[in-house]
Amino acid sequence: MVAATTSDTVLPSPGGTVLSVLRKPSVLPGFGLTLGFTLAYLGLIVLLPLAALALKAAGLGWSGFWNAVLTPRVLAAFQVSFGLSLAAAAVNAVFGFIVAWVLVRYRFPGDRIVDALVDLPFALPTAVAGIALSALYAPNGWIGSLLMDWFGMKVAFTPLGIAIALTFIGLPFVVRTVQPILQDLPPEEEEAAAALGATRWQTFRRIVFPALLPALLTGFALAFARGVGEYGSVIFIAGNIPGLSEIIPLLIVIKLEQYDYAGAAAVGMLMLMASFVLLLALNLLQAWMRSRHAR
Amino acid sequence: MAIQVSGITKQFGSFRALDSVDLEVRSGELLALLGPSGSGKTTLLRIMAGLEFADSGSLQLHGEEALGLSPRERQVGFVFQHYALFRHMTVFDNVAFGLKVRPRGQRFTTAEIRRRVMELLELVQLAHFADRYPAQLSGGQRQRVALARALAIEPKVLLLDEPFGALDAKVRKELRRWLRKLHEDIHITSVFVTHDQEEALELADRVVVMSQGRIEQVGSPAEVYDRPASAFVYEFLGQVNRFDCVVADGVAKAANGAICIPADGTVRGPAIAYVRPHDLGLSPSAGGPGRVSGIHVVGPDARVEIDLAGLPLEAEMDRERLSVLGLRPGDQCAVHIDRARVFPQP
Repeated sequence: MVAATTSDTVLPSPGGTVLSVLRKPSVLPGFGLTLGFTLAYLGLIVLLPLAALALKAAGLGWSGFWNAVLTPRVLAAFQVSFGLSLAAAAVNAVFGFIVAWVLVRYRFPGDRIVDALVDLPFALPTAVAGIALSALYAPNGWIGSLLMDWFGMKVAFTPLGIAIALTFIGLPFVVRTVQPILQDLPPEEEEAAAALGATRWQTFRRIVFPALLPALLTGFALAFARGVGEYGSVIFIAGNIPGLSEIIPLLIVIKLEQYDYAGAAAVGMLMLMASFVLLLALNLLQAWMRSRHAR
Repeated sequence: MAIQVSGITKQFGSFRALDSVDLEVRSGELLALLGPSGSGKTTLLRIMAGLEFADSGSLQLHGEEALGLSPRERQVGFVFQHYALFRHMTVFDNVAFGLKVRPRGQRFTTAEIRRRVMELLELVQLAHFADRYPAQLSGGQRQRVALARALAIEPKVLLLDEPFGALDAKVRKELRRWLRKLHEDIHITSVFVTHDQEEALELADRVVVMSQGRIEQVGSPAEVYDRPASAFVYEFLGQVNRFDCVVADGVAKAANGAICIPADGTVRGPAIAYVRPHDLGLSPSAGGPGRVSGIHVVGPDARVEIDLAGLPLEAEMDRERLSVLGLRPGDQCAVHIDRARVFPQP
C-alpha cells in the first residue's frame, strides 16, 4: 500500500538547489538575486577590509598579538574609549529621550528649527566640532573660563572633554531612533491607563517607557558605536595624554605614524572584537524585549 | 440616576460635535448611543470618561459634579474599539494594572490582587490565557481582556466605545450575546457607542439616537423602532421606503393616488412618507396598480420590488408567505400599507 502511494507522489523537486531549501514559498520575486547581491556586497564592503585587518594582525602570531595589545598604554586607551563612549551614550539616552519627547509631544514656535538642529552633529565635519568645543571649553574659553572660576573645573584636555565631544556627536542617534516610535505610539494605551487610575508618572513609567525602551536601546547602541570609533572631534579637546585622555583610534594613528602596522592592526582587531561583542549583546537584549510583545 | 448630562457642548474648530446635549443614564441600565459617524456619540462618551473636555454644560456621576475630575478620579471603566491593551504586559498584568497603580494606602495585597484578577479572567473565560501576551490572542479574546481590565477597578460606570467594531461578524454576534448575559449577571450601569442599529436594538435597554451633535430620540428599542420621533430616526433605523407625497385634509397621497395614508393634522402640503418594507402588504390581483419588478430571496426572507405607478417600493416577507401568494416578476398586484409615517418636508 505504501509503495502504491509513493510511486505517484515522487515529484521532481523544483529548482533542486540549496537556495530552494532556504526559501519559503512566497510570491515576492528575486530571492536568489537579492540574497546573492546582499552577501556579495556585504562581503566586499564590510567583511573584506575586516578580514584584511585580521590577516595583518595575525602576522604577529598569537603571543605577538597579545604582547602588542596588553600594554598599559593600550589598556588605558581601551578604558578611556569604551568607558567614555558608554557614559556619553548614557547621557544621550537620557537627554536625547527628552528632546525626542518634546519634539513629538508638544507644538511650539520654532519646533521645526529645533528638529533640524538635532541633525547638525551628523552633518558637521567632526574636526570642526572638535575645534569649536575645545575653544569653548578651554581654560580661557567662554564656558571653560567660567567653569574654572566657579568650580575650579578643567574640562578641555581631560577625559571630561572627551565625554562632552562624544555626547555632542551621539545625540542625533538617540533622538532619531526614539522619535518615530514615540510618534506611532497609540494614544489609547495612555488613555486606558489614565482611566484605570494611573497617574501621569505611572502611565509614563509603566506604559510609555517600556514601549520605547527597545528604540532607546538601539539609539544607545548606535551612539555608543559612533563614540568608540570617533576620532576627529575628540583629538582636539582630549589633550591626548597617554594613559589618561588618549583614545584608541588616536593610538592606532600613532602606531601607524611609527610604521608599526601590525601593532596598529592588533589594537584595531581587539577594538573590533570588543565592539562586536557589546553590540551583539545589545542586539540580543533588544530581540528578547521585542519578542515579548511582538505584534 | 447614575449619569446626568446637561447642556454639554463641544466644538472642534468650526465643527460642533455636541450641541447642548441632555441625557440621563439610569442606574444599572445598558444604554446604547447610536448614530452615524460624526454624530457626536463617541465625543459624548469620552467626555463622560474625562478623556475629552466639554466646552460648557455639566456632568454628574452619581450626583457628584464630574467635569472637573480627571479620568482617574471618576472611577469609570472604559473599553476602546481597538482594545488598547498594554502590549508589553501579559493578560494577567493588563487586568491587574488598575489595581497595582492604586495609591499605597488603598492597594490590595499581591495575593488579593491575584485572586481578583483570576476571578475576572474566569468571568471572561480567559483564565488559562493569563500568561499570554495580547498579540497572541484573537480579537474577541482581546476585547474580553479589555473588559476584564476595565471591570477590575470596580467602576461605578462602564463605558464602551464601539466595543465590537473591530471584530468580524460572527465573533461580534457571539460577544454581543455574551455581553448582554454578563450585564444581566453583574448589572453595572453601562453606556456603549455603536453605529450598528442591529447591535443597539438587540443589546440595549434603552437606545439614544444621535445625529449632528444632537439627540434625536431616547427610548426602548421597540419604541425607537416602531415610533421613530423624526425622519432621521426612521431612515437610520432599519430599512425603509421613502417617497414624496402631498397632504391634504389629513390624507397623504402619492403615486397618482395609488397610495393614501392618514397623516396627522400638523402636516400640510408637500411631505415625505416612510413605510417599512414589512409594513407593506401585497396580494395578487390582475387589475392591481402595482407590478412586481423583481424578487430577491435572502435566506429565509424574500424582498419583493414593486413598481407602483412609477414609484419603486420594496416589500419584505418570509419565503413561505411569498410562495403562498404565488407572485412572480411581472405579475400585477394590490398594495396595502399597514403602517406609515408622514413627516413635513425638511
